[in-house]
Amino acid sequence: MLLLEGFATALQPVYLLYALGGVFVGTAVGVLPGIGPAMTVALLMPITYALEPAAALIVFAGIYYGGMYGGSTTSILLNTPGESSSIVTALEGNKMAKAGRGAAALATAAIGSFIAGTIATVLLTFLAPVVADFAVGLGPVDYVALMVVAFLTVGALLGASVLRGLASLALGLFIGLIGIDDSTAQQRFTFENPTLVDGIDMVLVAVGLFALGEALYVASKLRHGPVELIPVSKGKNAWLSKEDWKRSWKPWLRGTFIGFPIGTVPAGGADVSTFLSYAAERKLAKGANKAQFGKGAIEGVAGPEAANNAAAAGVLVPLLTLGIPTTATAAMMLTAFQRYQIQPGPLLFENQGALVWTLIASLYVGNLMLLVLNLPLVGLWVKILQIPRPYLYAGILVFAALGAFSVNFSPSDVGILLVVGILGYFMRRYGYPVAPMVVAMILGPMFEVQLRRSLQLSQNDPTALFSSPFALVVYVSMALIFVASWWLRRRQAAVEAAPAQEQVSV
Amino acid sequence: MSSLATTPAKRPTGEILFALVFVSVGVAGLATAGSIPIPPSETGIGPRAFPYIVCGMLVLCGAGVVLQVLRGKVGQAEDSEDLDVTAKTDWVALAKLVGFVVLHIFLIEPAGWPVAAAVLFSGAAWSLDAKPLWKAITVSVILALVLQYVFGGLLGVSLPPGPLLEGVAFFHG
Repeated sequence: MLLLEGFATALQPVYLLYALGGVFVGTAVGVLPGIGPAMTVALLMPITYALEPAAALIVFAGIYYGGMYGGSTTSILLNTPGESSSIVTALEGNKMAKAGRGAAALATAAIGSFIAGTIATVLLTFLAPVVADFAVGLGPVDYVALMVVAFLTVGALLGASVLRGLASLALGLFIGLIGIDDSTAQQRFTFENPTLVDGIDMVLVAVGLFALGEALYVASKLRHGPVELIPVSKGKNAWLSKEDWKRSWKPWLRGTFIGFPIGTVPAGGADVSTFLSYAAERKLAKGANKAQFGKGAIEGVAGPEAANNAAAAGVLVPLLTLGIPTTATAAMMLTAFQRYQIQPGPLLFENQGALVWTLIASLYVGNLMLLVLNLPLVGLWVKILQIPRPYLYAGILVFAALGAFSVNFSPSDVGILLVVGILGYFMRRYGYPVAPMVVAMILGPMFEVQLRRSLQLSQNDPTALFSSPFALVVYVSMALIFVASWWLRRRQAAVEAAPAQEQVSV
Repeated sequence: MSSLATTPAKRPTGEILFALVFVSVGVAGLATAGSIPIPPSETGIGPRAFPYIVCGMLVLCGAGVVLQVLRGKVGQAEDSEDLDVTAKTDWVALAKLVGFVVLHIFLIEPAGWPVAAAVLFSGAAWSLDAKPLWKAITVSVILALVLQYVFGGLLGVSLPPGPLLEGVAFFHG
């Protein structure tokens, strides 16, 4: 019933317009090459600064889904895919586009995203209140366990190098320490500098790492010459055929049920789920369809795209009910919520029920708009992809500077942005993942509060951290996740090597 | 694999220096964490414990990366759509970009946001070889005015319009 009230708000004409605007801008920015979902949310944050909370959340729901979806268009149509959560889509989608089936690849991605997004939002609707009820009973020890898992999966599990991931994590924790200690109000690492006393704003770090760092990094080795796009062919062969529908619907559903659970546990969000879905489809395909893998199999686009969107909705479960972001994009969403004094966590559904249900309702709306917008507007996305690169990266710099300046309207914040951006450049250059730093920066202070609370309750006895059954379950599952990840990593290497070999042998 | 890994002739000095940045931040943190005041009422682990853990982690991870690099395991540079991995790093373009951001910072207040943004955009486009230059400058002026109108005028984000546009009402919130 609360959901209906949420819909009543979200369906007001003004809010529908906001949702449409959010989805449109989110997709348009997400389509831009080199801009992932986290960067989309970070760059577009200033748009919402002047809006009231409900409108801002609606715009964010649109940006979140739009940004997620935009990346897949890029990887299907651009000859040089790169973004990690849609890289699996690129494996088959790119080949399909080259074979003149780009429109079909885009269509199966759009419809799959819609179906997966809708089912996953339904699951979120039913699951979130249950998890929130359960989470009310969790103590500080349990939160410590959950956050340890989030740190380790984001820091150690996902990047190519465990040490560099942990170094990035530690740096994020350190930046999170700067400012006033939440528990004792003492200044830490501020060096009596008034700008540092308030701490370093999350938006500056995120925009600096994602937008400025990426722009500098690409600029240092920019691919010159014309943009190589694969033309989207028109005609009767281009759209989804009956055969395509038949081959797509099962991967859509499988992708949904792979993506959503992976999104809800802190195990890497979209990237892991797209890979798992791809591997599953590859394994389940039979006969001629199986032979198509690596040459443009539609299942290889349908499954991972569905998984990607379902995971995006799944990530919102721990974010809304526990206040724990498990991906860099979720960390950006949390930052946006906090700007409106919305504190996600078990009490969110009680304290700000109306807002949360409006957010969830606007997820349904945004999803539908994504489908309605995307298919007719492919031509526009293609135009956006063709923006000359000097303009594109100059524009990213201007937007990053705008975002940083509008946090406090202080030019010195743009200076902090530049320092973080240069740091982001070198992190990319030397293979340090930036996502752990962003997640650590926002989770670190929460972690410290819970850790100190747990130890205070137990008179500083560290064994108390393992005293609750829930925490024990969490730690044991973490061990299992790590074992599974070793196995997966070996599989992933094998899958990535396989198409390369096929290309060589042709 | 990245270009870093495939060119064995390249000495990883830069990578070691960058890893040492992590170590030195950690060391500096360890050195100063001891001076964080502890209120007398504190009964738990206090405000120093977590900084010690984090800085220790920085030192260990940074040192670990240095060891790995010395053993020949260099980092895998990130991939991106518009990236030419075989290209040499264009330090001149990077320096120009950083210079224009600095210029932008110092222009915002005296000249106004639209002017600062137009300078940043056209400067960055020029650094990245946009041709012809007059086109980049035209685009930058239009973009700066549109952004000022949308953010300053419509969305109510208070960007300073600067002395040139002070009198134009729709550039304000």
